[in-house]
Amino acid sequence: MKRKGSTSVKLLLAAIFITCVVFPLIQMFLNIDKEGFLSIVNNERFGTVVGNSLKVALVSTVISVALALALSFSITRSRIRGKGIFRTILTLPMLIPSISHGMGLIILFGANGILTKQLNLPFHIYGFGGIVIGSVMYSFPAAFLMLTDVLNYEDRSPYEAAEVLGVSKWRQFLDISLPYLSRPLISVVFSVFTLVITDYGVPLMIGGNYTTLPVMMYQEIVGLLDFGKGSVIGSMLLVPAVVAFVIDLLKKDTGRTSFVTKRLRPRKNGLRDGLCYTLCSIAGIVVIIPIFTFVLLTFVKRYPLDMSLSFDHVFKTFNMKGSTYLINSLIVSVAVALVGTAVAYLTAYCTARMNGPMSRFLHLISITTMAIPGLVLGLSFVLFFKGSWLYGTLAILVLANTVHFFASPYLMIYNSFNIINKNLEDVGATMNISRPRILLDVLIPQTKDTLVEMLAYFFVNSMMTISAVSFLANVSTKQLSLMITQFEANRLMECSAFVSLMILGVNLVVKGLAHILKKQLRKKKAVNLQNLEVENNETVQVGI
Amino acid sequence: MTNHKLVVRDLSVTMGKKQILNHVNFEVEDGEFLSILGPSGCGKTTILRILIGLLAPKTGTVHKDGVDITKASPSQRGMGIVFQNYALFENMTVLRNVEYALRLNKETKRQARQIAMEMLRHVGLEEHANKKPGKLSGGQQQRVAIARTLALHPDIILFDEPMSALDVDTRMTLRQELKDLQKTFKTTMIYITHDQEEAFAMSDRIMVMDEGVIVQIDTPENIIRNPADDYVRDFVIRNIQLKIDSLSRFAAVPEEGTGAVE
Ligand SMILES: Nc1ncnc2c1ncn2[C@@H]1O[C@H](COP(=O)(O)OP(=O)(O)O)[C@@H](O)[C@H]1O
Ligand SMILES: [Mg+2]
Repeated sequence: MKRKGSTSVKLLLAAIFITCVVFPLIQMFLNIDKEGFLSIVNNERFGTVVGNSLKVALVSTVISVALALALSFSITRSRIRGKGIFRTILTLPMLIPSISHGMGLIILFGANGILTKQLNLPFHIYGFGGIVIGSVMYSFPAAFLMLTDVLNYEDRSPYEAAEVLGVSKWRQFLDISLPYLSRPLISVVFSVFTLVITDYGVPLMIGGNYTTLPVMMYQEIVGLLDFGKGSVIGSMLLVPAVVAFVIDLLKKDTGRTSFVTKRLRPRKNGLRDGLCYTLCSIAGIVVIIPIFTFVLLTFVKRYPLDMSLSFDHVFKTFNMKGSTYLINSLIVSVAVALVGTAVAYLTAYCTARMNGPMSRFLHLISITTMAIPGLVLGLSFVLFFKGSWLYGTLAILVLANTVHFFASPYLMIYNSFNIINKNLEDVGATMNISRPRILLDVLIPQTKDTLVEMLAYFFVNSMMTISAVSFLANVSTKQLSLMITQFEANRLMECSAFVSLMILGVNLVVKGLAHILKKQLRKKKAVNLQNLEVENNETVQVGI
Repeated sequence: MTNHKLVVRDLSVTMGKKQILNHVNFEVEDGEFLSILGPSGCGKTTILRILIGLLAPKTGTVHKDGVDITKASPSQRGMGIVFQNYALFENMTVLRNVEYALRLNKETKRQARQIAMEMLRHVGLEEHANKKPGKLSGGQQQRVAIARTLALHPDIILFDEPMSALDVDTRMTLRQELKDLQKTFKTTMIYITHDQEEAFAMSDRIMVMDEGVIVQIDTPENIIRNPADDYVRDFVIRNIQLKIDSLSRFAAVPEEGTGAVE
């Protein structure tokens, strides 16, 4: 039976999505002219740049996924201690901008790098190798999270059956583990590839003369203000993400079909555990070293000449409007967390708890946002909103980040809604309990932990992003993360380091709070077999 | 259409090109226990959803007590529904589950509590009133759902395979309890099941369905004496017979044929 209220909510949401996603993208495509297209394609540099991008993305993806596989197996298939700590450390890189990873490498291995000098290294990091290392640092944690999630939920029954039949460990791996992993692995490979090929932070910082497509786009737009050429490159960057998205969509049928699987319980095995422990420790140290250098650079008077403790760089950063930019970032991140969570929650409510063509449309467009790289979204927004009152305000940054990071939190709550009994609204209808009441009194109380997760996801990503905001921020709305390049360009490496540290600190606090809150909510939630809910519906998807 | 509790005329439903209900006609008597029996996908749930107003039929009418309710909203029909998966409000206590709708429907707090406790007593769950549903067994959760429905005093209650998720022992007890509740509250009950034995054990009449049409609607006795066609003979009676045969082997009771059902 029709309800006017829900129809108008759906129409409103559809209108928002069309204005903030569809129209801007169309505007960008319209901005492509033949001239710009030809001048880019015929430029001899272009072929090299495309080749560079592909090479970097391919090599980084292979290393990143292999590393993530090894680490996620180590965590889920061993009995080592401190899994929680390893998990936290290994995902720390997800809390700082990609550009910080490039910077960490420069501080360590650059021409005047700490290790370059200390060890008298005969090479320097700029170029292909540096970009790959930085990209791996930046992208493997996402792959690691997705894979641990998948491996955590693998059912042990097939292994038990194989054990009884006397199937060897190696054959078990080939015949059970690999087929189970193959589908999720495809998603992981594509998301990492897209993540790397659309990132400009690492190559801009450490690439030297080795230019990639996103850097070229960044230079055309920020440096030369050539939006036509920018649009051409932007459309090209859309290709890998769209391919990944379509492939993901086609294989969508295999979700987690049952959420009451019997978890695998690894047996005692000293050798294996030793190896896993070593691997996780090494990876953990490698992740922490760059972060440690940020601390070193920030709080030492003048590395390496004067090693005494000093807050000079902290004051300097704040004197150069660091605090304004920090506040800008905090305002935007809080707003994105609130607006994004509210819109994603409402949208998922319409798509997961109602039927009809409108619901399907909203679902499709919500997950489509995953396929739009930040740079492309930023450019589309510039082109579409230029001249409107939004342009040049913090509000447009909020809007851009909300769209940019929409898909993952949306899917978190969509999945939570889907495991709540489908007949609640029907029961309500027969008892004169309205839909809003059910939402307020039943659904929201049951999804509080997902809400916390969503808020944290929007906040953290908004705090560290450098992509969509880079074209949209102006002098007065500048974000903290964008200061990193600016300070670096002015040879103020220490201030850049401090900025990265601030972002990390804020995000750690938010993540920590979210963790504590979720823990308390779970304790309250009655132990409840029907809600043996996905115990960490953590960031399984990654914003690109 | 005078004396019948419910009169259903010419009900048809299509989804896309598929005909899900094909000109369905039947009546339900006041205080009757009517089972709807048929294989999965034959349209049982669809009928129930139309009766309670969660789905609009393409053609056809539903009259209750002589009044056309085809277009009435679900809450105005004086009917309740109980689902297989309980559909309880997991975040609320058992008591709150039962009184929630009462409170929203303008009962005072004291009255609502009083009615809710009384209903819980009827289903034997007073001492669990302050627990969350997740702490209860499946059978107990289904009793909460029944109490929640009874609290609003519907004169017809619809059940959509309410026992399919329960174990055999619980089913046997719940069967009897349901019949007792029907006597106490004088409620008309329409009960979907795909368990032939359950239908024969509980019903005043059984409606046998196949692919969107009613094949036969009659008392259990008459269905066994005069099955309408081979489908009824094979699907309904043969299954019952098999169960009786296997049971009687264990009980070492001499085979009595169809008589055991009555
Ligand atoms: N929303 C729907 N869209 C399309 N087909 C449906 C929908 N709901 C039910 N059906 C189809 O209608 C038929 C009858 O369904 P249902 O009444 O649920 O059967 P039963 O309850 O007897 O198992 C089935 O074939 C089912 O596939
Ligand atoms: Mg059904």
